Amino acid sequence: MTVALADDDSDDRMFFTDAFDEIKIKTKVKTFNDGVDLMNYLNIDDAILPNVLFLDLNMPKKSGFECLKEIKKNDRFKDIAIVIYSTSSSEEHIEETFINGANIYVKKPSNFAILKKILSDIIVINWQYQTSGLNKDNFLLRL
Amino acid sequence: MQFQKLKYSSLFLKLIFVFSIVVIFFIGAVTYQHVSSLKEKSAVLGKCFKIHLELEHLISHMKDAETGQRAYIISKNREYLKPFYKSEKSIAKSLQILDSLTDDNADHQKELILITDLIRQRQNFLIKSTALIDQQEYDYGQFSANLAEGNNTMMLLRSKVNAMIAKETKKFKQQHSQYDSIVNNTPLLIYSTLIITLLLLSIAFIRMNRNLVHLKNINDKLKITAEANNLSEIVGSFGNWQLDLQTGKQSYSDNLYRMLGVQPNSFVPSQTEFHKFIHPDDRTFVEEQTKDLHTKGILPTFVYRIIRRDNQIRYFKVRGELSKNLFKRKTVIATTIDVTDEIISTKYIEDRNKELELTNKELSAFNYVASHDLQEPLRKIETFLSRLEDKDFETLSEDGKLCTQKIKSSTNRMRILIEDLLQFSQTTKTEKAFEKSDLNELFENAKLAMLQKIEETLTTVHCNNMPMLTVIPFQIQQLFTNLINNSIKYRKVNQLVHIKITSKLIPENSDNRLPNNNQKYYQIDVEDNGIGFEQIYAENIFTLFKRLHNKDEYEGSGIGLAICKKIVENHDGFIFAYGIPNQGAVFSIFLPAH
Repeated sequence: MTVALADDDSDDRMFFTDAFDEIKIKTKVKTFNDGVDLMNYLNIDDAILPNVLFLDLNMPKKSGFECLKEIKKNDRFKDIAIVIYSTSSSEEHIEETFINGANIYVKKPSNFAILKKILSDIIVINWQYQTSGLNKDNFLLRL
Repeated sequence: MQFQKLKYSSLFLKLIFVFSIVVIFFIGAVTYQHVSSLKEKSAVLGKCFKIHLELEHLISHMKDAETGQRAYIISKNREYLKPFYKSEKSIAKSLQILDSLTDDNADHQKELILITDLIRQRQNFLIKSTALIDQQEYDYGQFSANLAEGNNTMMLLRSKVNAMIAKETKKFKQQHSQYDSIVNNTPLLIYSTLIITLLLLSIAFIRMNRNLVHLKNINDKLKITAEANNLSEIVGSFGNWQLDLQTGKQSYSDNLYRMLGVQPNSFVPSQTEFHKFIHPDDRTFVEEQTKDLHTKGILPTFVYRIIRRDNQIRYFKVRGELSKNLFKRKTVIATTIDVTDEIISTKYIEDRNKELELTNKELSAFNYVASHDLQEPLRKIETFLSRLEDKDFETLSEDGKLCTQKIKSSTNRMRILIEDLLQFSQTTKTEKAFEKSDLNELFENAKLAMLQKIEETLTTVHCNNMPMLTVIPFQIQQLFTNLINNSIKYRKVNQLVHIKITSKLIPENSDNRLPNNNQKYYQIDVEDNGIGFEQIYAENIFTLFKRLHNKDEYEGSGIGLAICKKIVENHDGFIFAYGIPNQGAVFSIFLPAH
């Protein structure tokens, strides 16, 4: 299983990789410094596409929204499950990312143990089921 | 309405006038006819009388002649023959008169010829008798025969004359009765028609008088209205003007001149004169707007600038309407109002509003960004702290452990502050967010959000049925959450929290804490058995960052109730607090029932 994270904050990238290191599930983690970096990688023809992609919203050069829209436009990325991973939990952001086809919205937790639990929960979600039963009530992941 | 009445009244007067003229003409004609017919009748009667008289004269003359002759025969005195000879002349004169009197009557003429003839015969007999007497020797037989024949002729004459007199008398009587009836009817007819005419004229007079009074009243009212209008024009700084479409003449009210900075009636109103006052930049615009004014009387409402005599620039707004009066005369009646102050103050308010809006936007953007961006480092501090606690807590010294505890509680407090501030900045009023919602459902959601705290503190929440209202759902839910949170936060030590929510519809103007605006409200009371507060702080507790307690005693940001107040005010409602120290508090929310 491959997961990827696009986040401009180096601390958050570190928490992310550290958390996966401590989770017992075997995953391959790839991180990108910003949206441009991520899209450059994805657009390589023989790139290994992640199963689950974590997108920070507020990034320089190319924001999470722009990445989301670009990914959803391209049929090649239709199997990538997209998790919005943001500090903000404003209704506006939740609404907009939901409409643009993100699968789940996670507010960055302030406790490392909780972060590990969230990530492991997301990894074990049956994505097939999750994508078919999309609705706004369970879009925001509450823990 | 009143003019309509006058219109009909004038029509009525015209009718009466025409009718009166017709009646007077009729009376004249009838009178003339009557008088001329009377004159005619009286002439006929006079003639009858004259004929009668003359015929009597004739007989009398004949008798005079006879008497004279008889006297002569007896006395042989020639003196007695004088009347006889004299009568000859008189008879001839009478006959001549009779002839002229009867020249229009063929019957009478014929009779007259017969009478004349008989008179001649009679005279001949008389002359013969006289001649016989004059002879010394006369035949007595011849004489008496002559006498007898003369007598017969006289008898015949008398009967003829009598017949003629009778005829005239009959005619006279007939004419006289006709004359009588005419004479009897004439005054009645004249009198009655005169009465009718007089009556009509009286009605017309009364009517005219009434109209006059009516007109005078209207005139008085108009004078008062004109005066009032004049005053209100000065107070309201507006003026009136009229344009007669037929003649192209204009007239201005006094105040319109004043508005232009000149004395009333200081120039003759006209298009060209007025154009001199219009601001040069607006002249083309005004010409464009008034292009149909002089032909069709169309004047749209528009605003333009003028330059007054004293060089002050003023804004004028004009509005006019085409009006037709009673006589179908087309006049444009228009009002020009000086809107300079209005435009200036509107512009001022607009500018201030824009400024305020901008400041508000900046403020809320600042608030949002500040609180949002502050979360980022805070979250990292917390995450690092949690990792430290998980991995290396045991290896820390007791002091180190205490320090981490302090850091943790400080960051916690900071988190609450930031989150509340963020929430406060997001509690804005947006019309489109209003929807009809079940308050019970919103309350259940709030309870759910607070479930952990409610369970931890073994709090009981009791709530009766709440209404459906048009609200911003997430804000009302936030309101309930904050109030429950508040009640739990300020609970008494060693006593379980009990929160009771009651709601009821209250009639208009029934609570003296509310404005008298004839608005029904739903009153929702949230009551708890917590520590309460002194009533003097009842208003303070809703102020941002105002706290009644030290933060070590009770955790709290001082924002929660401020948010509650903001939410209620977003709904045009009111929130009041009522507290008794150590017994509890009641928060009363009033939301308008739409």
